[in-house]
Amino acid sequence: GLLSREDFQRIPELAINPLGDRIINAFFPEGEDQVNFRGFMRTLAHFRPIEDNEKSKDQNGPEPLNSRSNKLHFAFRLYDLDKDDKISRDELLQVLRMMVGVNISDEQLGSIADRTIQEADQDGDSAISFAEFVKVLEKVDVEQKMSIRFLH
Amino acid sequence: LLPLLAALAAGAAEARATSEGQLSGAAAMGTGTPPSPSGTAFEETRLHVFTLDYPHVQIPFEITLWILLASLAKIGFHLYHKLPSIVPESCLLILVGLLLGGIIFGAEEKSPPVMNSDVFFLYLLPPIVLDAGYFMPTRLFFENFGTIFWYAVVGTLWNAIGIGISLYGICQISAFGLTDITLLQNLLFGSLISAVDPVAVLAVFENIHVNEQLYILVFGESLLNDAITVVLYNLFKSFCQMRTIKVIDIFAGIANFFIVGIGGVLIGILLGFVAAFTTRFTHKIRVIEPLFVFLYSYLSYITAEMFHLSGIMAITACAMTMNKYVEENVSQKSYTTIKYFMKMLSSVSETLIFIFMGVSTVGKNHEWNWAFVSFTLLFCLIWRALGVFVLTQIINVFRTIPLTFKDQFIIAYGGLRGAICFSLVFLLPPAVFPRKKLFITAVIVVIFFTVFIQGITIRPLVEFLDVKRSNKKQPAVSEEIYNRFFDHVKTGIEDVCGHWGHNFWRDKFKKFDNKYLRRLLIRENQPKSSIVSLYKKLEIKHAIEMAESGMISKVPSSVSLSDYHEGKIKPLSPTEMENMREILTKNLYQIRHRTMSYNRHSLAADANEKQAKEILIRRRHSLRESLRKTNSLSRERPVLAFCGGFF
Repeated sequence: GLLSREDFQRIPELAINPLGDRIINAFFPEGEDQVNFRGFMRTLAHFRPIEDNEKSKDQNGPEPLNSRSNKLHFAFRLYDLDKDDKISRDELLQVLRMMVGVNISDEQLGSIADRTIQEADQDGDSAISFAEFVKVLEKVDVEQKMSIRFLH
Repeated sequence: LLPLLAALAAGAAEARATSEGQLSGAAAMGTGTPPSPSGTAFEETRLHVFTLDYPHVQIPFEITLWILLASLAKIGFHLYHKLPSIVPESCLLILVGLLLGGIIFGAEEKSPPVMNSDVFFLYLLPPIVLDAGYFMPTRLFFENFGTIFWYAVVGTLWNAIGIGISLYGICQISAFGLTDITLLQNLLFGSLISAVDPVAVLAVFENIHVNEQLYILVFGESLLNDAITVVLYNLFKSFCQMRTIKVIDIFAGIANFFIVGIGGVLIGILLGFVAAFTTRFTHKIRVIEPLFVFLYSYLSYITAEMFHLSGIMAITACAMTMNKYVEENVSQKSYTTIKYFMKMLSSVSETLIFIFMGVSTVGKNHEWNWAFVSFTLLFCLIWRALGVFVLTQIINVFRTIPLTFKDQFIIAYGGLRGAICFSLVFLLPPAVFPRKKLFITAVIVVIFFTVFIQGITIRPLVEFLDVKRSNKKQPAVSEEIYNRFFDHVKTGIEDVCGHWGHNFWRDKFKKFDNKYLRRLLIRENQPKSSIVSLYKKLEIKHAIEMAESGMISKVPSSVSLSDYHEGKIKPLSPTEMENMREILTKNLYQIRHRTMSYNRHSLAADANEKQAKEILIRRRHSLRESLRKTNSLSRERPVLAFCGGFF
């Protein structure tokens, strides 16, 4: 009952997903190469749709995994490889490079990355912290974009 | 172009007249002149330097001219590049047909050749259905089969009976002069006019962004409801021709419906398997491989028609069955040939159908009655809207992803009528239907209204609906990136779940498939797709490189990380921002679409394959990197294995 990275890599659609490697990494906890069912479910639980009746229920308890802020945290961790709670220019560049075709030169990509950081950065450290990340995405419908209806 | 066509048409007419004159003259000569022993009574014809013998080639000549005209018209439309996006091609083709019909009518003073229903059903319709069935994404189709079936069967029945009964009510009003049309005739008319032809809508779908669910619903419904329409039509036609109708006949009708549907599907599947089996042995004669695909599918169509089963369902089932197995047996080139040829045939068919519709409209076979025509149009719209609305309320209870109001609007408004109801109305036997011309007029009016007015306005209306709902866009460069990022993540996770989501019947079928069918129908040791063979080539090349250079390799995707200057990020001017946004929109990778957007006129696969190749190559390089880090060659196996289940 354990999954390894090879099992994920065998999914053909993930192979041609530009962010395939990052997504696979997200399933595995720090430094480990295998994930059990519980860990698998924990990752997938981030993508449950947010239901209205849940908001009123558990105000005092720990925040459910599929809350907006936890979804955003999941996305943030996909960028932030070294886990310093900041997306540096390099990390952003790496993700951009993965998402973009081969026609774009490195300089163009660099300036796009610069612009992205500039739009988000508020404290001038040339990196995007989690709070800044949340702020930039406040108008984006994250709940809809990061929700999957399981069990078709 | 037009004067040339006029001259051709006139020339054709004249030539026919003169050739007839020639023939009759020759006959007169033959019978009039008695054989004379003296040998001088025959007029000897000198050797002709130049002869014109039109009747010899008349039929193929005219067919070729028609097809050529249709294709030239298509080129003409696309010359002005904005035109196809405003006005759907079907409208333009009908206009050309009308023009041509007018010319022929003016030149010959009689009604132009009306489209022969046999020609339509036996030659023009099968390629279109084959094309639709072959490119149908089967998995999504079967996932939504319940909804599709619901819309197709119940929806068509609802429309047919509703329109029929309401028209009968209108006919009862004696002021309109329609009292001689019986209930059965009205029901028959209702059933043939409820044949929604979403083919035209699919062309519009490329501009409207619809979700994949909606797309497969409309697509699937169009295929299934054609079959139902034909069944209903034949049913009511036989009822009309019978003197009395007993209860047993109604039950026989229902049973007939099931037999027609299921029988057609069975024939299609059977012939699909035979086709797959045949292609197992064709590796020595690659050149005629595509021929088998077309022959077997056409065979399934006409066999089903022979038994009065549903040819459309047969050919669809055949195409869907063949698709899976034939793809793996034939060579890459044959596969491309099949796809292109299919697109070509269906494109030509569709063009011809619309042109013929335009041509057949001009002429003397019309009878205008304000009440009947306008009420027909009204009831078509009302019943379609009502039907979609009511059915969706019911089916949403059972669906996990409900259909929104925008979806329902698109389905209802997209109910364009097309060539099938046109041909069905021409097939009506005039002995049983004294008011046939009235029906023809009404059908033509409905088709023109839906194709022209609804076809042109659907896109602006949907955009209007969209604009009302979506928020104001942030003019930020990064937004494009973030949106695409989220989409990729979501599709990635969906694929992880989908892969592990089990469906009982699908699993059973897959097991059965792997154990028996694939062994029987597929030849061994075939590379599965061009991407896998490319991959294998790269592997071999890289292995040689590695052996030669001792594990040193370049990493092409390393960005100039070391060149980054720790400096202030300078603000950008608006034009630079525009540039950036443009660069991003063009170059960000598309998310994986489960269904290629269906296009009658082109094959969309190429862009996706190029993107997939780039991503694969890049990932292979980065995997090599990580491989080097751990320095264990045992990782090679999964890298090859994950291409195993490809495409």
